[in-house]
Amino acid sequence: MQHTATISRLKAAGAPPRLSGFAQWADRHFKWLLVAPAVLLILALSVYPLLFSLVVSFINYDFQVPGHAFVGLKNFERVVFDPVARWSLLLTAWLSGISVAIEFVLGLLVALTMVRSFPGRGVIMSILIVPLFISPVIVGQAWTLLLQRPFGPTNYILTQLLGQEVTIGWMTESPWLYVSLIIADVWQWTPFMFVILLAGLTAIPPNLYEAAELDGVNAWQAFWAITLPHLAPMMLLALTFRLLDAIRMFDTIFIMTGGGPGTRTYTASYYLYTVGFTQFHLSQATAGSWLFLIFTALVVMLLVRRLLKTEPV
Amino acid sequence: MNHHEKRDFQAGLEAEVDAFMRGETTRRTFITRFGQMTGMLAASGPILAMMTDWALAQQKLELADAASPLGQAQAAAMKASMEGPADGSAFRAVEAAKAHSGVTLNMTYEAGLQALDPRNFSGPMWEQLTGMKSNVVELSNPDQYSKAVAEHIAGSGAYDVLDISPAWTPSLADGGVIAPLDDYIAKYMNPADLEDYHPLYKALPTYKGKIWGFFDDGDMFALYYRKDIFEDPKMVEAYQAKFNAKLAPPKTWEEYAQIAQFITDQMAPNVYGAGHFRKAGSPGNQFDFLQQYRANGGKLFGDDMKAGLVSDAGVKTLQNMIAANAASIPGNNELDAVSLWAAFLTGKVAMIYSWPPSGRMAANYSQSATAINFIPQSQIAGKVGYAVVPGNPEHATGYNKALSADSANPEAAYLFMQWACSPPVSLARCMLPYALRDPYRISHFKSELYGALFPSAKEYLSNLNNSANVGLLDPIMPGAQDYFLSIDRMCTAVWAGADPKASLETAAAEWNETTDRLGVDSQKAFYTEFLKLPGATADNTVEKLGMSVTL
Repeated sequence: MQHTATISRLKAAGAPPRLSGFAQWADRHFKWLLVAPAVLLILALSVYPLLFSLVVSFINYDFQVPGHAFVGLKNFERVVFDPVARWSLLLTAWLSGISVAIEFVLGLLVALTMVRSFPGRGVIMSILIVPLFISPVIVGQAWTLLLQRPFGPTNYILTQLLGQEVTIGWMTESPWLYVSLIIADVWQWTPFMFVILLAGLTAIPPNLYEAAELDGVNAWQAFWAITLPHLAPMMLLALTFRLLDAIRMFDTIFIMTGGGPGTRTYTASYYLYTVGFTQFHLSQATAGSWLFLIFTALVVMLLVRRLLKTEPV
Repeated sequence: MNHHEKRDFQAGLEAEVDAFMRGETTRRTFITRFGQMTGMLAASGPILAMMTDWALAQQKLELADAASPLGQAQAAAMKASMEGPADGSAFRAVEAAKAHSGVTLNMTYEAGLQALDPRNFSGPMWEQLTGMKSNVVELSNPDQYSKAVAEHIAGSGAYDVLDISPAWTPSLADGGVIAPLDDYIAKYMNPADLEDYHPLYKALPTYKGKIWGFFDDGDMFALYYRKDIFEDPKMVEAYQAKFNAKLAPPKTWEEYAQIAQFITDQMAPNVYGAGHFRKAGSPGNQFDFLQQYRANGGKLFGDDMKAGLVSDAGVKTLQNMIAANAASIPGNNELDAVSLWAAFLTGKVAMIYSWPPSGRMAANYSQSATAINFIPQSQIAGKVGYAVVPGNPEHATGYNKALSADSANPEAAYLFMQWACSPPVSLARCMLPYALRDPYRISHFKSELYGALFPSAKEYLSNLNNSANVGLLDPIMPGAQDYFLSIDRMCTAVWAGADPKASLETAAAEWNETTDRLGVDSQKAFYTEFLKLPGATADNTVEKLGMSVTL
């Protein structure tokens, strides 16, 4: 009965228009047409540049040396045997490792503090996450203004607090220049850790804590037995994301130290930028980028594997 | 089909038919609309670009008060362009350019203050005179090289006029990125206007016997010092007592460090003897090292093109620089050029050597433009003296205007270059308070109008001219960026405590690697060409060649 009613309504609407050859073809391949723009965009903006960069790393592509002759592994060799490149990779690992570790500990502490409701919590949280929305270049500039002698107030404040003259060269003297870079990074990215870990903390069922309390478990034991296991996947996620971002550290270094003194604050990104865009050795910079990508991919693989293991089956 | 499946199918069919009957979106209408949307998106880019071009091209010509020196210079530029003299380069360029009315010229300029001149003054004035529009492409300094090369490789013809560092001329000329101007010069230019260039700058765009641009920015380092401190009877007396010498602007680098230390000892923390821009990546290190090293008799390369840095001159230069740093304002090694200006203008530092805008800022002339209000007001106006940097001052980079070899309108582009760099127009451009274009023509140095810009402007111009007479040029050869970077790394490493000799060795090794990469024979040929230029070495200055300009 229902079928008849539907058919009669369709008849009343009139016969569907006759489709042209193109329209029929489009109708048949509709799903492909839908994804085609995205595929083309990805090919044009991602795959093509990637393949082109691979080609560039095996040829001469230098704005100072005419021609694009095939040079084999020469560009890779230049990077591998460049002491500045090796140092920059080491510094990248060291700086990102320390920064992320500090951000993790601070982020966790703040998240544990903020997980319970208290008056003004919303305002404090809003203020805490503000650094996340600031461009790293601005963060670098702001810390430069605070730390740079003779205009920055930091040494003056420390002098007043400590009662003796402080004359630290925050951006030119070891180890203070590393401390400055880590402070700037920690200031900006601790809120990232805090936000993710807070989300993880709020997702832990409160009845677990209630049951633990009934069993006479103290706060420290509850943290180890309940909070930590439940938060572990989120912790790993936060560490993975943050570490992947931290190893690309560039902006604050560009603004605060300019890579110096000497090459002491050259990270991998800063090294590649200098080779590519200050010295115009584009093929060497591209080869270096590929090597850096391989190192990064290894780190990603390790972390993702660990992340997948923690997922509940 | 079981009962549930039939019910689901029926419900789906009903919904589709109802939607069809209501005229709701079908696949076909979706595709049509998607196509329309894509089309609109594709069209929106060019439309927006056209609107941007239109908005930028319509900027009004900004003229200063007609009674002011700048206003008079601008009026003179306009008059020379419209009324002549008939053989003047400005007039001839404008007359010939009228045939190209409607053409848009794409010009690269350093981003920021440099680009305000073509946006607010020379671009609109040129349009008013010829009907030619200008599109200013603002680029960072390294991009002014790399983008020009990249667009040439792509064959895009994106640029017509290029602002380039003189150091890039050989590689851009050999690479076919820029075109020679000789034929155009012969056709359109008054030869007397070429003779008006200071001898240090005249040959800068010349390479392998051809002219590859017009020099357009006299970036000569000069010494700016606090006259009130140097003339303070107590200071003079104390200096005399300590060193048995008159307290006067230093003539040697040892004297410079000694005077800086003396002033710091006497006046710190209110005033320090000196300040320098020594921050890594700030070009102060490379310019300062190059001027002192060559003044100390250092040679950049040996006959075999091996770096000459590891030498007594190299060690002496770094030791002098370390002594000067020690006598300077705290944080000296963290300063960039702008911070140094701030320190000098606020009266914290007694001596600096830097680019010519230092003098205009110290007199509070530059700060009359809102565009430059990030620089503090000068608290030392009227108290500043000018002197030649000890030994030989560096001509720290400068700019050439060059013609893009890929320009679709090369003649029109050339005519703009000739007009903008002609004596009356270039004078008005150099006098703009926000401009970072510095005097470079003999007529600029002699200009009564420029001399009336601020009370001590005549002394300022005279000192810039005298500095150019003994000035040294940056090396003009491929790989210059690499060589400069090595010097910067070397200096900043030494400031942080590294051993000067070991740092010189590291820098020399980097220089040798750069030379090897670019080809020893090829680099030697470029270096030989460079050495022919007045100002290439301390033994080959304009003064030593007997070509000094006396005002």
